[in-house]
Amino acid sequence: MQRPESYFIAEGLFTLSGSEPHLIGGHCKTCGRYFFPKFSTLHSPQCKLNDVEEVLLSRKGKLLSYTILYSESPPPYRGPDPFAPYGIGLITLSEGINVVGILTGIPVEEIRTGTEYELVVEKLYTDESGKEVLTWKFKPAS
Amino acid sequence: MREVVVLGTGIFPWGIHSDKLVTDLGVGAVRNALKDANLSWHDIQAIVAGMYVWGPTDGFNAGAAIAGVMGETGIPITNIWNMCATATSVFRTAYLTVASGERDICLAVGLDMSPGGFFPIIGKESSTDLDTLRWKALGLPNPGYWAIECRRRMENFGTTERHLALAKVAASKHGALNPDATFKKIYTEEEVINSRMICDPLRLYMICAVRDGAAAVILCSAEKAEQYTSKPVTVAGVGLGSSVYGDPTLRLGYLSCPAEEGSAPGLSESYMACQMAYKQSGIGPEDIDFVELPDNSSWHYLQYIETMGFCGPGEADRLVEEGETLIGGKLPVCPSGGASSFGEAVAAQGLLQICEIVTQLRGHAGERQVEKAKVGIAQTYGMMGNSATAILKI
Repeated sequence: MQRPESYFIAEGLFTLSGSEPHLIGGHCKTCGRYFFPKFSTLHSPQCKLNDVEEVLLSRKGKLLSYTILYSESPPPYRGPDPFAPYGIGLITLSEGINVVGILTGIPVEEIRTGTEYELVVEKLYTDESGKEVLTWKFKPAS
Repeated sequence: MREVVVLGTGIFPWGIHSDKLVTDLGVGAVRNALKDANLSWHDIQAIVAGMYVWGPTDGFNAGAAIAGVMGETGIPITNIWNMCATATSVFRTAYLTVASGERDICLAVGLDMSPGGFFPIIGKESSTDLDTLRWKALGLPNPGYWAIECRRRMENFGTTERHLALAKVAASKHGALNPDATFKKIYTEEEVINSRMICDPLRLYMICAVRDGAAAVILCSAEKAEQYTSKPVTVAGVGLGSSVYGDPTLRLGYLSCPAEEGSAPGLSESYMACQMAYKQSGIGPEDIDFVELPDNSSWHYLQYIETMGFCGPGEADRLVEEGETLIGGKLPVCPSGGASSFGEAVAAQGLLQICEIVTQLRGHAGERQVEKAKVGIAQTYGMMGNSATAILKI
């Protein structure tokens, strides 16, 4: 049996099944609200019935805001070795929520709000056994 | 509910105290508060304590640990953890204990030893825990959240790096006048702007350090206080707020937020806490003489002036530019020097703010005295939707 070469940083947050990666969110069938992650429900007080289904969130959105980290966060964060400054962005999805994600595929000094980004799943770091640990990121939309 | 006053305050000096137990810090603050109030331990009829959550089990039982050292008397002890609102929530519960008539004299104490650098996860790691995920999947530290909100502010209102620097400069000018402050250096704009970038756009000197410390306040019914003091500081109002549905702020620790703006205020938990205290006290922003706000970063400094209702959205920049947030200005902000000059000790910070307010209202603030200070307000930040406010007057 072939050993898997990669695994997700956490289950239930994003998926690679299908032709494109998606974040997995929650959607309340009663009030129409979307959540990410799917377990992080912030219901409307007006919503009488909490009927939440799992959904795949849309993949593209505009960069609303961002920061650039210049020092490596401590454990439990583990990232690329060696560390290099990277951006984390807040992207607006058509579902009416802004989600956070590491920004990739663009030099940090070129990051600008208003740019269209799309979801990717990429390596966060390589573990001791040589397996790639994957997380979700956003890269400028092609 | 009956009127409640502050009989005494005490702090354990903010600093790095790795050679001590966190309980020692709490006991130190309590002893100083008892001395200030001219009371003995036997006079305390109830204890409300902030939990110490970065260490072992006895931190969650902080009140009992303090009672163990001071002498166990079987009185009611409540331990509270309410994220950033912890210390002021402790104050509120102590206030309610007396205001309700349950007890005449109640002790409020907060104590903390910061783990250093970025705060770790409080509970156990879990893949369905937001706090775990923001670290593991993103590496997003607390200042990163503030930086994301700060950039939004810069794009919405034109706040510049200079405004962020001026906030630090202003706070440092007050810290320089406070013998209890950890950092007494007055910073220049250039020093702040040239400091190392941590989470763009927030630079090193725009983000407060973390420290160890403890603060205690003894509350008493106004009636009974007459035998102890002729010039009591009165608790005018307290508030405790939680998030309102639709709040567009990216909350600390969260991975998403509503995209629609306008259906709820930003920093809604802080707004709600503040409004509750204004309503209870019958005092509005226009009546406030000075404010101790949670200046964890320069973004907080500017944002909270607006969230607390002292000016409209985006207008705090001009107040800082024009020096109005300095002692002697229209709205003295953090006359103590703030978290910026002390470092943050989460579970104790709100009570430190309240100690400063009492000192100011009593006219004992020396070089940093706000003239004719009659009403002060203490406001916490609102990590994960918990915020608290206290208004005191003389």
